[in-house]
Amino acid sequence: MRRLAWWLIAAQFRTRRTATLLSLLAIALGVALGYAIHLINDAALADFARAMNTVQGDPDVVLAASDSAGSVPLGVLDELARDPAVEVVAAVIDTRVRVDGTATPLRLLGIDAFSAAAVMPRLLPRPADDSPAGGILGGRVYASPALLEQLGLRAGDALTLRRGDRHWPTVVGGELPGTGAGDRLLVADIAWVQAHFGPNGAVSEGRIRLTPETDPARWQADHRPRLPVGLLLRAADDEGRRVANLSRAYRVNLNVLALVALLTGAFLVFATQLTAVAQRSTQFALLGVLGLAPRMRLLQVLLEALAIGLPGALLGLGIGYALALAFTQILGGDLGGGFFSTSSPLLVPRAAPALGFLGLGCAASLGGALYPAWLNRRQPLAQALKTGFAQNPGAHGHRFWRLPLLFALLVPAAFGLTRLPAISGLPLAGYAAIAVVLIVGVAAAPWLTRTVFGLLSRRSLSPPLQVAVQNVAQAPLMAQVAASGLIVSFALTASMVIMVASFRSAVDQWLDHVLPAPLYLRSKGTPLPQALLDAVDRADAPFARVERTAHGSLTLDAQRPALALIVREIDRRDPGTRLPFTGPLFDAAPGEVVIWISEAVEEIYRLRPGERRRLPLLGGDIEVFVGGVWRDYARQFGAVVIAREDYTRLGGDFAPTDLALWPRSGDEAEALRWLAPFTAAQGLEVSTNGELRALSLSIFDRSFAVTHALEAAAMLIGLFGLAVTLAASVWLRARELATLGALGFDRRMLGRAVMLEGLLIAAIGLLIGLACGLAIGAILTQVVNPQAFHWRMPLDVPVLALLAGVALTLAAALLASRHAARQATRLPLAQVLASAQ
Amino acid sequence: MLSVVDLSKRYAGASRALFSGLGLAVAAGEIVALIGESGVGKSTLLNCIAGLETADRGSICIGPRATDVVRLDEAARAALRAQHIGFVFQAFHVLPTLSVEQNVAVPLLLSRVPRSEHARRIGTLLERVGLGGFERRWPASLSGGELQRVAIARALVHRPALILADEPTGNLDPRTAGEILDLLLERTRDQGAGALIVTHSQHVAERCDRTLLLTAEGLR
Ligand SMILES: Nc1ncnc2c1ncn2[C@@H]1O[C@H](COP(=O)(O)OP(=O)(O)OP(=O)(O)O)[C@@H](O)[C@H]1O
Ligand SMILES: [Mg+2]
Repeated sequence: MRRLAWWLIAAQFRTRRTATLLSLLAIALGVALGYAIHLINDAALADFARAMNTVQGDPDVVLAASDSAGSVPLGVLDELARDPAVEVVAAVIDTRVRVDGTATPLRLLGIDAFSAAAVMPRLLPRPADDSPAGGILGGRVYASPALLEQLGLRAGDALTLRRGDRHWPTVVGGELPGTGAGDRLLVADIAWVQAHFGPNGAVSEGRIRLTPETDPARWQADHRPRLPVGLLLRAADDEGRRVANLSRAYRVNLNVLALVALLTGAFLVFATQLTAVAQRSTQFALLGVLGLAPRMRLLQVLLEALAIGLPGALLGLGIGYALALAFTQILGGDLGGGFFSTSSPLLVPRAAPALGFLGLGCAASLGGALYPAWLNRRQPLAQALKTGFAQNPGAHGHRFWRLPLLFALLVPAAFGLTRLPAISGLPLAGYAAIAVVLIVGVAAAPWLTRTVFGLLSRRSLSPPLQVAVQNVAQAPLMAQVAASGLIVSFALTASMVIMVASFRSAVDQWLDHVLPAPLYLRSKGTPLPQALLDAVDRADAPFARVERTAHGSLTLDAQRPALALIVREIDRRDPGTRLPFTGPLFDAAPGEVVIWISEAVEEIYRLRPGERRRLPLLGGDIEVFVGGVWRDYARQFGAVVIAREDYTRLGGDFAPTDLALWPRSGDEAEALRWLAPFTAAQGLEVSTNGELRALSLSIFDRSFAVTHALEAAAMLIGLFGLAVTLAASVWLRARELATLGALGFDRRMLGRAVMLEGLLIAAIGLLIGLACGLAIGAILTQVVNPQAFHWRMPLDVPVLALLAGVALTLAAALLASRHAARQATRLPLAQVLASAQ
Repeated sequence: MLSVVDLSKRYAGASRALFSGLGLAVAAGEIVALIGESGVGKSTLLNCIAGLETADRGSICIGPRATDVVRLDEAARAALRAQHIGFVFQAFHVLPTLSVEQNVAVPLLLSRVPRSEHARRIGTLLERVGLGGFERRWPASLSGGELQRVAIARALVHRPALILADEPTGNLDPRTAGEILDLLLERTRDQGAGALIVTHSQHVAERCDRTLLLTAEGLR
């Protein structure tokens, strides 16, 4: 029995090489994309977690300020250290400094060698041989090997650390052997760091190790209410969760794309196996007559699918690994998403996920073969032997009345699904709505073909057209298979194009609004030097206007990524000139602190415009008024803007990091020349708004590059499905076509009939696909993107691009139909007529 | 080998039963011809016997242990065919994607004859139907007469108790038809199997042991 199954599989591979190979490749593509995305993310997350572990060590609880401007007073730490449940408290100052000659700021950690040995052993330096006798760390800095190499320094070399206007000339004392290959860190004694860069009498964090018998969760719960305002306790592993949360939605979106590729693979298996079953209906009937068990007729088709799926999935794992390697080399670990800025991570495949993706590939293939297998099992033997494949075994009469009922249920269901909120931060209902739209589209195909072509066939048409129309109208199953491939692939492609176009034009407009100044100067994290700030204010500076901004962060929920806190010189009464508000603005009372929140903050933290809320700001519990909601495509996890005057009134220290500059008389060249001495010395970055805009759009385009590859793959698969089914239907109707030939159709007319048939089916498929694509595009822009990323955007349909897509697909469909038509003209008519089969 | 008792069959939607209360028997080694007008139900009767159509009433007992086909489920009927029935069709029905040798091997695989016996049985049988040396050929390269020889070898290779043939020579020229019929009768007698052969040819009917005429009223 096994031998027979194997013979049939081998025969199938031999006689339908192209179709089988392409289904196999489609499965491989789906698995490869999914697996590559998994590998890259896994590696990036592991790498990120490892780097974080180096810096954070292994505490039970971390005490930190909820606001980047805040700090933890030493008094609070001392008090905690007296708690008998606390074993060690390691104080840390975590700050950013510049080293002459580097463009980006470096992370400097101030630690206490004794407590760090217990909690953060990887941060302990190995001093060079000539280290000074006084103190363990002394007044020197220690750097990770990667950083030393980047700076071209060795132990004993002198260097100057700068932060704003403060600086610390010191010496490299040695390296940090515990750090990883990609880590770029500086470590020094906490007292020295404090003395040079602050904060006075406080530190950034206290990392707490509890005694073994203490339950960290209970201890946190006990201490949280007693904490001074502006401080928060968090479990050490919250940090890991924050990192995972960071890229989760993006990851899920990519995985859904991979799933789409896998689905199209399943569709190809469906088309191949259905035509394979139809072509071999007499063979299977014969085997049944010879005594093949009915169960085996089902199993054989599934086995054949597995023979496609298993090698396909294996190949996919290989390709996926190669893709992941290539991608991490080119784009880094974030797939262009911009979430992690680690060096290209190491890829280590593990058994369980590899097996999972292998299973997924096989499941897709088996899923695609399920209906053909069932149909094969149901073929009435005696009849199949006599007249061949039965499309609708056992059915009496048409069941088209069920269709309107189906639509009446499904269309409102899709609408309902788009109204549901995200489920644990993921737009699952939105994805389900997309699936429903596709189902409705595919189910509508036979009804539409029958209606349209039924009507057409009543007109008097040229003979080939008449035959083509008749065929499409009468063989809805084949037409449906051919059309459904196009419907699904064109719908997905069109929706993707619509979504990306809508998003891009929204980003374009948004950039206009958020980049009002001709010139921008940015320091990427460290405060700007006072000399520069003073200089731009002087009357001889070539600027008509200067606006300063300081960037900080604010943690409202320890398990979520921190919000961006943006302190700006902005007109409290008219913030609309600087921020792209999405709704009405609310006026605050004169003495009140106003904030303007991004859409993400409104959605994640449920803040409403016009309401008053208490927020942990500047070490206090401050009541703020939400003045409005603005659109922000740059910070997916939320941003809060506060006016400089409010911030300083609360006691905040305004230390600008960015400048927006309006050069006098529009002369940018003069302004650039004037800025040059400052930027060269401080490693600051000056860009025109045009450059920033081009940069943003190029990042945007890069992060959607993957989708274009998928669109192309989907369209190829859809077209291939059309070609396979058309060719198969020619084969299935060989006798009918031969009879037409005998009745006086010449070969050219036969070919024309088949080609017209292909085009008619393609036209129907494209029509429905376009309609579904519009619906899915709307769901993606209005439901999926807002729920997954808190990105809202108006729907913007790129009519020209879509029409070009339709034309291109029709042209490709023409080619696919020609292939089938050529087969029709090559039919050995006499032989077909002579043979019974 | 075969006994049909009180068999009735009516297609769903048909105005009247094709046959009712039909009975017939074929003994081991006996070859029976079944003739009758077109559309009278000969193929249907054959299909009922093979379990490809379900009879409405009656019993059809086949094989050494007289298993009743009517009472079996679909899977058991398939198993019974694999074990005890050999089929020959007017339209040959040779699997185009399997070689001659593989085509003949299919019943052996389905009836679980030990693998070690396959080569010998296939070799001798192909020799006997005049296809020695055709083992590796593909069906597409064979003539109609040769295809029907393959089909006969396939019908006999698992030594079934009953051969059912539906117009086995209908698609062949008179000379080849004669040769094929000789072959079918000889080989069936060799193996001591019973046979029921549907035919329109008086010539074929004369060469069988007995002839049954199926009419709308019943068997005569
Ligand atoms: N699946 C079916 N459903 C309904 N009626 C059928 C079916 N198969 C056959 N019939 C009818 O049953 C009758 C007998 O058909 P059958 O094929 O048994 O005739 P036959 O005696 O073999 O004819 P021929 O000599 O032409 O082959 C015919 O009238 C046919 O229309
Ligand atoms: Mg007949």
